[in-house]
Amino acid sequence: MSEASLRKIIEEVVKSYYAVNSEASPKMCTPLPMEIPSIDSDAIPDITKTTIESYFAVPFAENKDAYLNYKKSTPARVGIWRAGPRYTTETLLRFRADHAIAQDAVFTNVAEDFASNKGWVEVQTVIKEKDEYLTRPDLGRILDEHAVSTLKLNYSTPPKVLVYVSDGLSSIAVETNAYDTFKSIEMGLKAKGISVAQPFFLRYGRVPAMDHVSEIVGSEVTVVLIGERPGLATGESMSCYMIYRGKVGNNESLRTVVSNIHRNGTPAVEAGAYIADIIKRMLDEKKSGVDLKL
Amino acid sequence: MEQILKSVGIDIGTTTTQMVLCAIKIENFAQSWTVPSVRIVDKTLLYKSDIYFTPLKDAQTIDVVAIKKIILDAYQKAKLSPGEVDTGAVIITGEAARKENAQEIITLLSGLAGNFVVTTAGPDLEGILAGKGSGACAHSESHACTVMNVDVGGGTTNIAVFNNGDAVESACFDIGGRLIQLDVNQKITYISSKMKLLIETLGANLIVGKHADLLELKKITDTMASAIVSIAKGNYEDPIANLLITNHGLKEKFKLKGLFFSGGIADCMIEKKASIFEYGDIGVLLGKSLTQALISSELPVLIANETIRATVIGAGIHTTSISGSTINYDSGVLPLKNIPVVKLSFEEEKNSGRTRIEAIKKRLNWVVHEGVKPLIAFSITGSSHYGFDALQLLAEDIIKGLNQVVESDQPIIISVEHDMAKALGLSLRRNLSKEKPVICIDSIRVDNGDYIDIGMPIADGQVLPVIIKTLLFGY
Repeated sequence: MSEASLRKIIEEVVKSYYAVNSEASPKMCTPLPMEIPSIDSDAIPDITKTTIESYFAVPFAENKDAYLNYKKSTPARVGIWRAGPRYTTETLLRFRADHAIAQDAVFTNVAEDFASNKGWVEVQTVIKEKDEYLTRPDLGRILDEHAVSTLKLNYSTPPKVLVYVSDGLSSIAVETNAYDTFKSIEMGLKAKGISVAQPFFLRYGRVPAMDHVSEIVGSEVTVVLIGERPGLATGESMSCYMIYRGKVGNNESLRTVVSNIHRNGTPAVEAGAYIADIIKRMLDEKKSGVDLKL
Repeated sequence: MEQILKSVGIDIGTTTTQMVLCAIKIENFAQSWTVPSVRIVDKTLLYKSDIYFTPLKDAQTIDVVAIKKIILDAYQKAKLSPGEVDTGAVIITGEAARKENAQEIITLLSGLAGNFVVTTAGPDLEGILAGKGSGACAHSESHACTVMNVDVGGGTTNIAVFNNGDAVESACFDIGGRLIQLDVNQKITYISSKMKLLIETLGANLIVGKHADLLELKKITDTMASAIVSIAKGNYEDPIANLLITNHGLKEKFKLKGLFFSGGIADCMIEKKASIFEYGDIGVLLGKSLTQALISSELPVLIANETIRATVIGAGIHTTSISGSTINYDSGVLPLKNIPVVKLSFEEEKNSGRTRIEAIKKRLNWVVHEGVKPLIAFSITGSSHYGFDALQLLAEDIIKGLNQVVESDQPIIISVEHDMAKALGLSLRRNLSKEKPVICIDSIRVDNGDYIDIGMPIADGQVLPVIIKTLLFGY
C-alpha cells in the first residue's frame, strides 16, 4: 500500500469520527506555536539535589526516622516506593538523571584548558578521539610519539616520585578532585623530605599507561590520579594507582590502589595525605601492590 | 586485624561500690583498596565484682583504705593486674561525690586503674553512663525513638534522655533511697539536708533520733515517686520536682517511647521478699511507691537490661570511643587528660580571614584565662567540601587564632567532625616550628563544655582512643 493511499484512509476515518462525535470543525489540529516559551529554571526542581540516602518516598511509614537511619548506610535505591509494579515518576526520573550523570562523566572530554590552567603540560596516548578511546582499551595504555619526546625532555633526570593525572573513565572526577589530591600528596611528601616532580596531564589514558610512563621517565614510584568508571551513586569518584619501578607488561597485582576519592567517599585532600604515607612506605620497602602490606 | 582493649569501670556511689572489666574489640574494616577504617566491633563484659556497700568512716568521709582493698580484691578475682588495663573510667557518683575526700579517692584510684583511665564525677555524665549501661541508649537507636533513663540510686536520681542513640539532655534530682536512714528499731539516724526541706514542705513528722512512722515515710517516698512521674510526663513545673533539683532539671519536652529504670531502687521496684527496712533506709519503700505511681501513670515503662550495675557497666564499656583512621599526631605528648573543648560554630568556620581569626580568639578566651596553661582541644565541624587551597587558609587562620597556644609550651590539639584531620594536621604543621607537637583527630563530635581525654595510639598507631566527657547540655 502506498503512503498516499494510507493517508487517504486515515483522513476518511478521522472525518467520519468528527462527523459522528461532534460538531467541531474538521480542522485536524492547531499547529504548535514555533516559539517555545521560556521556562524559569527555578520552576523545575533539580531532583538530583537531594542525596539518594535522604530520598524517602514511603507513604505513611511506621517509623520514618528509623528507615532513614538505615538508609544512611547505603546509596542503594530503597524506600523509593512504587506505582503498582513500577517506579513512580519521580523515582524513574531520578534514575535517569543519575544515569545521565554517569554517561556525561564518560563521554565528556576533560576541558581543553584544564592542564594549562594549573601550569601542567598536556600529552596524549596514541588514541585520537573519545569513541576510539572507549572501544580500544589496548591503545589507551600507549603514549604517542610527541608524548614520549615531551616527557623525555621534561624529566631528563629520573624523579623519585612522579604523580600525573589522567582522564580515565570520568572527566568530572579528575576535574573535581585531582588538583586537591595532588597538592595534598605533595604537602605530605614534603613534610617527609621527599620532593615530587611537576605533574602532567595524560589525555585518553588507561591505568596501565602508567607503566609506559614509568619506563619513559624512569621514576622510582609512579602515581596516577585517574577517573573511575562512574556508577549510579556518583560520577565524581577518582582512584589513585601507584607502582614501584613500573614496567610495560607487569602484573596488575603490582599496583597499589586507593579508590573512592570523592566528596562522599574519602575527601580529596584527606586521601592525598594518606597516599603520601603509602608512597613513603613504597620507597622504604621498595615494593608495591600485594607485596606491600599496608 | 583485630585488637582487644581491656577497659575497667569503677563506680563509687552513695550506697554501693562496684567494678567491672570489659573487652573492647576493634577491627580495621578497610579493604586493600580503601583508606583504613578502624571501628569498635564488639564490647563484652569479662568480669563483674560483687556489690559492696561503700565504706564510710563517718557521714562526711569515705574510707579510702577500704575502697582500695575492694578494688584490689576485684582485680585479683578477675585475674588481672591494674597495669594490664588500657582504658576505662572511675566515677564517684551521687552523694559520694560530695563527700569531703572525693578528690583524694580519685587520685588514689587513677594509680590503681591503669594508665589511661578517666576519673570523674559529675551528675550529667553519670546519668548518661547509666542510660548507656541500662540499654536505654541502645533501645533508642534500634527503635529510632526517644527514651528516658531514670537511674534511682541511694543519693541521687540521674535522668538522661536519648534520641536515636544520642544523649540529648540530662538532669539530676535529690531523690534516693538513702537520704533518710534508720536503725533496726526504726529510729531515724540520718536525714539529708534536702530531705529536711522536703519534710518541712510536706509537714511530715520525721526527726533524727525519733522513731519513724511508716505512713510518714511513705508520704515522703510517694512524693518523690510522683515527682519522677511529673518529670517523665514533661510536667517540669511540678514544685516538688523543682525543689529536688540537684544542679539543673530538663528543659525540652519529649515524646517518650520508652521509660527505663536503673539503679539500686529499680531492683526494689520489682516485687521482692525483702522486709521494708532491710537496708536501714527508705529504698524499698521508694521502690514500692514508684511502682504504684507508674501503674496509674500510663507511661511506657520498659525493662532495663541492667539495673543496679547500669552505671558501672556504662563506665566500663561505653566511655571509650576511637578517632577516625586517617589522623595526624605526635605520640610524645600522649596521653592527655581533661582537655576542655573550645568549639567554633560552623557559621564562624565558614567565614574567612580576620573575622574567622577573631572568632577563634574570642572562643579561646572563654576558656583560657590569664596565667592559666592554655591546654585546650580546638574543635571545628569541618566539611568534605574543603579543597586544598581553602584548607590552607583554614590552617593559617587557626594558627593565628590560637596564637596564645602556639606561643605556650602546650600542644596544638584539634578535633574535627568530618574526615579531614590528616590533611589539616599536615597543613597546620607547615605554619609551625618542627618541635611544636600537633594532635589532629577527626570523626569526633564534641561541643563547648565537654572535656576529652586522648590515649596512646592503638591499631598499629592508626587511631587514638578518645574519651568524651559530656558535662552539660547547653546550660
